[in-house]
Amino acid sequence: MPFLLLGIISAIFVVSRLTPADPLVSIVGERNLGNPEIVAAAKARWGLDQSIPVQYVKYMKNVLKGDFGTSFTTRRPVLSDLWDRLPATLELTLFALFIGVVGGLTLGVLAARKRNTVVDHGARFFALLGSSLPWFWSGLVFLYIFYARLHWLPGPGRFDPRATPPARITGFYTVDSLLHGDIDAYWDSLRHLILPAVVLGWAVVGIVSRLVRASLLDEFSMEYVRVARAMGMRERTVVNQHALRNALLPTITIVGFSFAYLITGAVLVETVFSWPGLGSYAVEASRKLDFPAIIGVSALGALAFLLTNLVTDVAYAIADPRIRLS
Amino acid sequence: MIERTDVTGTPLSTLPPIAVPVDAVAHSGTFKRKRRPAWRRGPALAGLIIIGVWIVVALTLPLWSPFDPLKPVADRLQEPSGAHWMGTDALGRDVFTRALWGVRISLPVATVVIAAAVLLGTIVGAIAGFFGGWLDAFLMRLVDITMAFPPILLAMAITASLGPSIRNATIAMALVWWPIYARLLRAQVVAVRQRDFVDSAVAIGASRWLILRRYLLPMSYTPVLVNATMDFGQVVLLVASLSFIGLGARPPSPEWGAMITEGATNFYQWWIAAAAGIAILTVVLAFNFVGDGLRDTFDVRDVS
Amino acid sequence: MAGFRVRSWRAALAIGTVATLALAACGSDKKSSTTTAAPSVNSGATGGSSPSSAGGTAQMSDKPLVIARSMDVNSLDPQRAYCDTCQIFMTAVYETLIGLDKDNKTLVPRLATSWTASPDQTEFTFNLDPNAKFADGTPVTSTDVKFSWERLQGLKAASSYLVSLIKSIDDSDPHVVKVTLSAPNSAFLAQVNASYLGIVNSKVAQANGATTDPNTDKAETWFLSNSAGSGPFELESYTEGSELKFKANPNYWGPNGPKFPEVDMKQTDSAVTQRQQLEQGAVDIAMQISADTAAGMSGGDINVEPVSSFNFVYLALSPGVKGGEDLTPDVRKAIREALDYDHLVDVTVGGKGKPQPSPIPNGFAGTDGLAAPAQNLDDAKKLLAGKTYTFDATFPSINVYGVDFSTAMQEVQSELKNVGITLNLNPVEISVWADKIGGDGIPVTMLYFAPDHTDSSQYVQYFGLVDNSQWVTWGKVPADPTQNEQLSKAFATQDETARAQVYNGLAQKMIDDQIIIPIVNPDLFLASRSDIQGMHYSACCNLDLAQLSRS
Repeated sequence: MPFLLLGIISAIFVVSRLTPADPLVSIVGERNLGNPEIVAAAKARWGLDQSIPVQYVKYMKNVLKGDFGTSFTTRRPVLSDLWDRLPATLELTLFALFIGVVGGLTLGVLAARKRNTVVDHGARFFALLGSSLPWFWSGLVFLYIFYARLHWLPGPGRFDPRATPPARITGFYTVDSLLHGDIDAYWDSLRHLILPAVVLGWAVVGIVSRLVRASLLDEFSMEYVRVARAMGMRERTVVNQHALRNALLPTITIVGFSFAYLITGAVLVETVFSWPGLGSYAVEASRKLDFPAIIGVSALGALAFLLTNLVTDVAYAIADPRIRLS
Repeated sequence: MIERTDVTGTPLSTLPPIAVPVDAVAHSGTFKRKRRPAWRRGPALAGLIIIGVWIVVALTLPLWSPFDPLKPVADRLQEPSGAHWMGTDALGRDVFTRALWGVRISLPVATVVIAAAVLLGTIVGAIAGFFGGWLDAFLMRLVDITMAFPPILLAMAITASLGPSIRNATIAMALVWWPIYARLLRAQVVAVRQRDFVDSAVAIGASRWLILRRYLLPMSYTPVLVNATMDFGQVVLLVASLSFIGLGARPPSPEWGAMITEGATNFYQWWIAAAAGIAILTVVLAFNFVGDGLRDTFDVRDVS
Repeated sequence: MAGFRVRSWRAALAIGTVATLALAACGSDKKSSTTTAAPSVNSGATGGSSPSSAGGTAQMSDKPLVIARSMDVNSLDPQRAYCDTCQIFMTAVYETLIGLDKDNKTLVPRLATSWTASPDQTEFTFNLDPNAKFADGTPVTSTDVKFSWERLQGLKAASSYLVSLIKSIDDSDPHVVKVTLSAPNSAFLAQVNASYLGIVNSKVAQANGATTDPNTDKAETWFLSNSAGSGPFELESYTEGSELKFKANPNYWGPNGPKFPEVDMKQTDSAVTQRQQLEQGAVDIAMQISADTAAGMSGGDINVEPVSSFNFVYLALSPGVKGGEDLTPDVRKAIREALDYDHLVDVTVGGKGKPQPSPIPNGFAGTDGLAAPAQNLDDAKKLLAGKTYTFDATFPSINVYGVDFSTAMQEVQSELKNVGITLNLNPVEISVWADKIGGDGIPVTMLYFAPDHTDSSQYVQYFGLVDNSQWVTWGKVPADPTQNEQLSKAFATQDETARAQVYNGLAQKMIDDQIIIPIVNPDLFLASRSDIQGMHYSACCNLDLAQLSRS
């Protein structure tokens, strides 16, 4: 794991020096090249007038301290930018994960119970659609239908532009508004969350439902299910209290994977919904060639991936008695 | 690391390394393998047909294209009509035609990306799996590091560094995609390498390269094929995503992602985004269906 | 087989989720309104007196003014800012000595109550209003004026050209500013009206590192979160890419004070999003509605009105840069003649605009009698003599004055293809574009311009082949001594008609140079909620926030 972290930082060092231009440009931005003070400060901080190995060491030291450089566009430390925008993405992805997992479980159980019927095929097609649709397109389509035409839901953004969002405690508008006791703000932020979270969650519904269905069907073929049914146990009990428990194990892995997948999807969905999170930060940074920001976001993304895998492994170990006992 | 799964969501790591035809399976319990009913083959067949149609379109389009995709041919922003099935865009170009021409960008790019990724991944994975030792460790660490990044972020970063263009986006995507195949190949090679016949071959003096080429690789192609087919759809999505952000195709290229961006600018003229979106959807769905079918054919776990 | 029973806890959870979502969707509508809902009324403590569009009789609204705009801020340092959004900012926060009346022609007093010019147009005297005060309460003196304009000259930013002819400023009398120019300048009074000549509080600025020397000046960062002006508003905060916030200046000394406690300019990239926010009532003003977007807008709560403007979008050819060597005068003329200008107006602004012959906009002095640009494909092909050319066309992917640059460039590309010229389009972020144009330069690109003040000289100084003009620098072309001479002559000529004639000659020269090819002079769409008063296009200042009020 620590080796991996080292590797990631090295990788981003390589990418940051990949640019055909002078690395100085990728650190201070071309506009600041004429400013001797900024240039001197950057050279000292990153060791730019020294050899590559020295630069690498300096880079490593800085990154481990949390110094990813200063964003060209916001002119603030990249780490502050990342910290500012993290809650927006987390709120969105967690909500999407929730929708995806709950929806996926429901659909998966349904499909398994009604195997080979229209319901089953419908559910599977719905799931497949979720992983085949380009998220930025479905986002636009949803906006067009539910916002522009039907006016059921608000448009892009996290919050009504006219109102002030709740003061930051966690950064999650829903949680913060509840903590402040502002119910209106809570409803407003929830309503803004729905469309992007559904767009993102749909793909997760796909993955989860298909896995649940497959696992459940596997369980159904097991001896103990036949016995339980023969003993006259109600189907509902058989499914929910016995088969599902066992089928859920691989689902934990999938939830972890889905979260990682959602981080990827967030990049596109945040752009469509003008959601001020890390995804849109990454897109803006890429467009503006704001290299410190690009690198900062990529590193954070890798960290998120790693953490998700770690958590998933631990959760799996806790949940599976076989692993625990072995 | 990304936990690679197939379309059904089953993590690949839970599948046994060697692909064996399904007939040889003994499943626990009383579950009997039924003969696959006709409807079950439906989606895969439909997928093949759709892909076939798109390939034919891609190859023959210049001969019969309804309009020139780059030339304005009518009034701007016209709704779909008999003359223009998906209306016209902000310059007066026929949207349906442009959506068709988009396949001539997406399919070749996806092919190049997958081919490059498979090639590079196969070489790296085979070497790592076969020769083992520090080489294996080093190469696999490289794979781990690359796969630690969210693919789209890495692709964005590389494309931004190299300069936005469809060519650089292709390079970036290939660089993002190869580790998956490296891991796959390595797992295959490691599993097969332990078999007896390999020891025998070594004993009679066959060179290791020969063994690699003649025996191990042919036995490994099946999962690669399955994965490559499913990946096709994902790569098409990734190309479109990069272009949507503005890092891929340059105007006036009728690339699907770029068309969706135009559709976002002309939001109330829904047909512009719809045409490109539907095109992407059909291609990706088709590849997913086919990949699904392939997976079912070659896999141990039959879940019908 | 038993049916799917609702009593399953999983089902309950799923239904609960769906119910929550449904409830949320139909839930509280208090904050956001749909197009059919009436906008909220000013519920201030005082009864509503009927607002007039001018002056202080309009009531201070209790709610902030929210503006949707795609901002192009390069700096908030008063002597460095140079952009369309900066005009709005400067006008609101830093006042100029002279103001511009609503007719976009008449100069009116502002910080200066009166002024005189010497007969030879080299000495100007301004009498400052003794009541004029900065936001911190200190009086505006001639020392502040001297510091501001010398700093503008010294920092050599893009707006410095406006004060290039100033030789010395005498601030011996704190209420009188005496300016001596190095050459006659009949446009000086108009230039003083430009928002970039706004006056900064010299003591505060200097205390925070401002000097007139670019090598020692350190104040630019301070100005990103602070302001030191005398205008009706002050800078509250600026978050790049997100929002520019103004707060009302409680100590404002002038007659036309702020009518909003706060003005929030929210970064909103697309015309579509701006429209949606306006229709929803989420913003009060949308600044960049395009003709296409405006077409579908209706309803009693919003006003959308096209007015003719002096803004324009142009194509710029740079023969002196790498990749532009083939841009010979003949090729440039061919490019100019290959374009179908009426069709371009149609494609870019849906017909709501006009073609423009020269870089001096329609309506400014010197544009009478100029021949409208005309397409002449035969001549263009003849000039190219059968050869094909390819040029790199990097341009900013922006949407300005309702013109989507990507659409416009694709149209230009398509038309030039007809004569065998290929443009390789490369849309980039404006910051990336700015770096490129200032560095290697770009052979073919597109940009926009809004007037800084009411005199035609600015166009010659920016676009013409005169010393230090922006396009001489960016295009890497040599200046034309004749144009230099004519510009000086224009500055020296007092008689308006004669001056117009000189500008006319210069305009014709600029047309013949074919470095700048105006594409369209678009109408401006003033889009606001119907309770907003005072929307007006200003020829110097874009949008004057102090004139806006809510009824």
